[in-house]
Amino acid sequence: MSRTGRSWRAALTALMVALAIVWLLPAVWVLVTSLKLTENIVRVPPEWIPWPATIEHYGEVLFSSSRTARIGRAFFNSIVVSLGSVALVVLASAMAAYPLARMRFRGRNLVFGLIVGSLMIPNAVILVPQYVLVQRLGWLSTYQGLIVPEAAMTFAFGVFLLRQFFLTIPSELEDAARIDGADPWQIFTRIVLPLSQPVLGALAIFAFRSAWNDFLWPLIAVNKPDMFPLPVALALLRGAYAAESYGPIMAGAVLSALPLLIVFLVANRRIVEGVRVSALKG
Amino acid sequence: MSKPTPSLSRRRFLGGAAFGAAALTLGSCSQSKPTITYWNGLTGADGKIMDGLIDQFTRETGIRMEQQRIVWADLYAKLQVSVPANEGPDLALIHTVEVPHFASDGILEAVPDATASGKGFKGEDYLPSTWQGGTYQDKRYAIPLDVPQHVLYVNVKVLKEAGLTGPDGKPKVPTTRDEVLAMAKQIAKGDTFGFAIGTTNPGRYTWGFHNLLWQNGANVYATDLKKSGLAEPAAIEVAEFWRSIQNQHKIAPPANANCRDAFIAGKLGLWIAGSWNFTGLRDAKVDFVAAPVPRMFKQPVVWTMPHQFTFPKKKAVDAAKRDAAWAHIRWMSDHVAEWTLKAGQVSALRKPHSDSRITGDPVLSVLLGQAGNWQSGQPTPKWVAAENITRPIIENVYIGQKPAAAAMDDLARQINALSD
Amino acid sequence: MKPRRALRRGAFTPYLFLAPGLVLFALFRVYPLLEGLWLSFTNARLGRAQQTFVGAANYLRLLDDTRFHVSLVNTAYYTIASTVPILAVPLVLAVALNRGVALRTFLRGAFFFPFTLSVVTVGLTWLWLLDPVIGPSTYYLRAAGVPVRSWLADPGTAMWAIIVTTVWWVTGYYLVIYLAGLQDIPRELYEAAAIDGAGGWRSFWSITMPLLRPVFLFVLVTHVIGSFQIFGQVFVLTNGGPGDATRTVVQHLYETAFQNFFHFGSASAMAWVLFVIILVFSLLQFRLLRGHTQY
Repeated sequence: MSRTGRSWRAALTALMVALAIVWLLPAVWVLVTSLKLTENIVRVPPEWIPWPATIEHYGEVLFSSSRTARIGRAFFNSIVVSLGSVALVVLASAMAAYPLARMRFRGRNLVFGLIVGSLMIPNAVILVPQYVLVQRLGWLSTYQGLIVPEAAMTFAFGVFLLRQFFLTIPSELEDAARIDGADPWQIFTRIVLPLSQPVLGALAIFAFRSAWNDFLWPLIAVNKPDMFPLPVALALLRGAYAAESYGPIMAGAVLSALPLLIVFLVANRRIVEGVRVSALKG
Repeated sequence: MSKPTPSLSRRRFLGGAAFGAAALTLGSCSQSKPTITYWNGLTGADGKIMDGLIDQFTRETGIRMEQQRIVWADLYAKLQVSVPANEGPDLALIHTVEVPHFASDGILEAVPDATASGKGFKGEDYLPSTWQGGTYQDKRYAIPLDVPQHVLYVNVKVLKEAGLTGPDGKPKVPTTRDEVLAMAKQIAKGDTFGFAIGTTNPGRYTWGFHNLLWQNGANVYATDLKKSGLAEPAAIEVAEFWRSIQNQHKIAPPANANCRDAFIAGKLGLWIAGSWNFTGLRDAKVDFVAAPVPRMFKQPVVWTMPHQFTFPKKKAVDAAKRDAAWAHIRWMSDHVAEWTLKAGQVSALRKPHSDSRITGDPVLSVLLGQAGNWQSGQPTPKWVAAENITRPIIENVYIGQKPAAAAMDDLARQINALSD
Repeated sequence: MKPRRALRRGAFTPYLFLAPGLVLFALFRVYPLLEGLWLSFTNARLGRAQQTFVGAANYLRLLDDTRFHVSLVNTAYYTIASTVPILAVPLVLAVALNRGVALRTFLRGAFFFPFTLSVVTVGLTWLWLLDPVIGPSTYYLRAAGVPVRSWLADPGTAMWAIIVTTVWWVTGYYLVIYLAGLQDIPRELYEAAAIDGAGGWRSFWSITMPLLRPVFLFVLVTHVIGSFQIFGQVFVLTNGGPGDATRTVVQHLYETAFQNFFHFGSASAMAWVLFVIILVFSLLQFRLLRGHTQY
C-alpha cells in the first residue's frame, strides 16, 4: 500500500475509533453506574469515573435476600430456554425452507406467503390465544411452554432467511448427488446443511437474542418463580411507581448483556459470512 | 451374598413401621400447613422488606408463601389473564382503585362482612377512607393494609442556596399556594427548578392532578359516578394552574423531566410526590425535610392509594389455603408497624398510629398527620381507564399545547364515552 | 450412495420436510392468529368467559377512534422518517469498516454492543442522557452555550429523539448484514475502477450500491415490517407523549388489550388493520424494486 494509502487508513481508523468510543458512551454509563455508590449515581455535572467503586449492586442482584428474584436460577432458565428454542427453530426453519427453495409442489407459494405474512402481525395479539392453548396443553410454568412458543415466534423469520440462502447454493452440487442416487434427506443433510453453517449460525444468534430478551410471554406463561427467565427476574429490581434504583438495575443489565456479547464475539465470523451469501444472491 | 434371617428382618420391619407411623402422625401436624401463592407489585426496595416479613411469618406460623412480585401495571394484566383461566394466586395485594373493575369483572371474590369480622377485621379499627375503599356496590372485596400517599419534600440544600432557611438551618416550609409560588420563584434560577409534582414525567402525572382536583372540591366523576365532572369550573381552575407552573410562573421542569433525580441532584427545591420515594432519598443521602402537602386550593386534601389484600377467584376454594391466606392478613395487620418503620408506608389500621417509634420519626409523623385529609379514587370500574386517558391530555395542558378549558372539555367527553 | 425408495416417496417429500415446522407454525402461530381474527368480530374481553359475535362493530368503531388514527399517522411518520437514518448510518459505517481499517473486531463489537441490551435498559439510559434537568446532553449543550430544550417533551422533536435512540440501538445489527454484503464484492472491481481513475464516490455509486442491492432490499423490507410494529422503546421513552404525539399503533393495541378495559376483540381488529397496511406497503415495495432481484 502506498504511503498516502497508509495514512488514509490510519486517519480512517482513528476516526472510527473515536466514533466508536462516543457510540459506546451510553453503554459506558450503564457499566459505570453499576459500579457507583448509590449516593453518587445521580449527580450534576455527570461523573464518568466511578470512584469510589463498589460491587455492592452486583452482590445485591446476585445474592441478596430477595428469594423471589433468584437471579442465578433465572440465568439458568434463560440459558435452557434460549438454547432450546434456538435448536428447535433452526431445525424446523431449515427443514421447512429447503422444500420452499428447492422443490416444486402444490401450495408452495401459499405456504411461503403465509409464513412471511405472519411477520406482519404484532405479537401482542397472539399472546392471549397462545396462553389459552399452552394452558390446555398443561405447559404453563414449564420449559417447553417457553421454548416452543419462542421458537414459533422466530420461525417465520428463520424460514425467510434460510430460503434466501438455499436459493443461492449452486444446484449443480445437488444434481450431482441426485445422479449418484442420494435421496432428498441425504442431499439436505450432507450437502445443503454443511454449506449453510454460516447462515445457520446467523439465525442462531438472532433467535438466541430474541428468546433471551423476551419479557411479555414468560411474564404470563410462568407462574412458578423458580421458572422465571432472566428478564422477568430482573424486572423485580425496577422500583414500584417509577422510583428506580439505578445501581442494581444497571448491574442486572450488564449481567444480562454479557452472554449475548460473548455469543456475538464467538460467532462473529460466522454471521458475517453467513448472512452475506444469503442476502447477496437474492 | 447372605440373606438376612426372616425373623430379624420382620422385627426390623415392624419396628421401622411403628417408628414410621409415629413419625408420620407427628409430622402430619406440621405437614398440614399449606403453601399459598401470593402476588403483589412491591418491586424494588420495598420487596426486600416484605420478603423479610414473610420469612418471619413463615417461621412463626409454618405457612409458606410462594411470592410473585411483578411491576404493578404488568401484575394487573397478568391477573386479568390468569384468574379466568384458574391460574390465579390464593392472595393478591392490589391498589384500592383497581378493586371496582376487578370486582365487576368477576376476578375477585367477595368477602362477607360477617366473615371479615369473624376473622377480627372490623371497620372501626381502620381509617374510614381505607375501609370504604375495599368495597364495590356495597360488597366488600378487600382488606386494607397500608396507605401510600403524597407528601411534600423540601430540599434543604437548594433552599439554603436560595436563602430560604432560618438561622437554625431549617428550611422554610410552605403551607399555601401563594407561599409555594413565592418560594418557588425565588428558587428557580439557572438550571434549578422551584416546584414540581410527580416522580417522572410531571406533565402526565395524573395522581398529582387528581390531588389538586380534590383540593378544589372537583373530581373525575360527579357524585352519581355516571357523568364526568371535569368540565366544571373547579376542575378547569385546576387545569389552568397545571398549565401555569411551567409556562407562566416558569418554576416547574419540562414535562418529561425526572423530578426525583432532579431533587436528588439538587436541582429541585419543592417536590410533591409519593411517600414511597423517601427510602430512596435516604439511600441517596439527600438532605431533605418532609412536610404536609400544602393547601394549593380550598382544602389540604392528600391523595392516597391504599394497598388492599384480595382473594382472586378460584374454581374450587381450598379451605386450608384460604385459612392460611387469612392467617397472613391477620399476621401482617398485627405486624404492620414493622412494615411502616422499614418501608415507610403508614398503616390503614389506627392502632399503630400511636406507636412511639412511628410518631417519633420525622417523616412518618408527617404522613400520619395527614390522615384526616386522606382521599382516594372513586369506586367506579372506569376509574383506571379514566386515569389512562387523562395522561396525554393533561400533558398537553402542561406544555401549553392546549388551553385548559378546551382540554377539560375534551377529557370529559372522552370519559363520558368510555363504554362498560 | 445407495438409491433409496426416494423416487416412490417423491411426491410426499416436500410435505415431510415441511411437517415439523408447519406443525409448530400452525399450532402456535396460525391457530392463535385465526382465533385473534375470530375474536376481532366479537366483544371479547380478558376475564370474560363468553363473548358474543358483533360483526364488524370493532372495525367500524376504529373509524371513530381518533386516537387510533393518530397512532396510525405517528407510526407511518416514524416508519418513513426512520428509514433513511436507520438504513444509511450502518451503511456508512460498513463502508468505512470495509475499507480495511484496523481493529475491526473491536469496532464491530463496539457498534454491535447496544443491540445486546434490553429495551428497558436502552430506554432508561437514553431517558437519563436526554433528561432536561440532569442529563449529560443538557449539561454539555448548556456548557457549549446551546439553548436547552427538552427533546422528548416537545411534540416536534420527540419522535426524532426516539429515532436517534433506535439508530443507536439497532445499527450494530444492520452493520453486520451490510458488512457481509460488502465483503462479497470482489476487490478486483474496485481496483479496476481505481485504475480507470474513478474516485471513492464514483466507485461507491457504480459498484457498491448496485451489488449491494439485494442486501439493501432485505434490510429495507425487514425494517419496514419492524417499524410498523414499533412499541418497546417508544413506550419507555415517552409513553406515547407528549400528549399523543408519539403514540404508536402497537401501543394503542397493547393498552386496549392489557390495560383499561382489556378489550381483546377491539385490539385484534386493530392488529388486522395494521396487517393489511403492512401487507400493502410490502407488496408496493416488492413491485417497485423488483427489477433485478428475485424475491
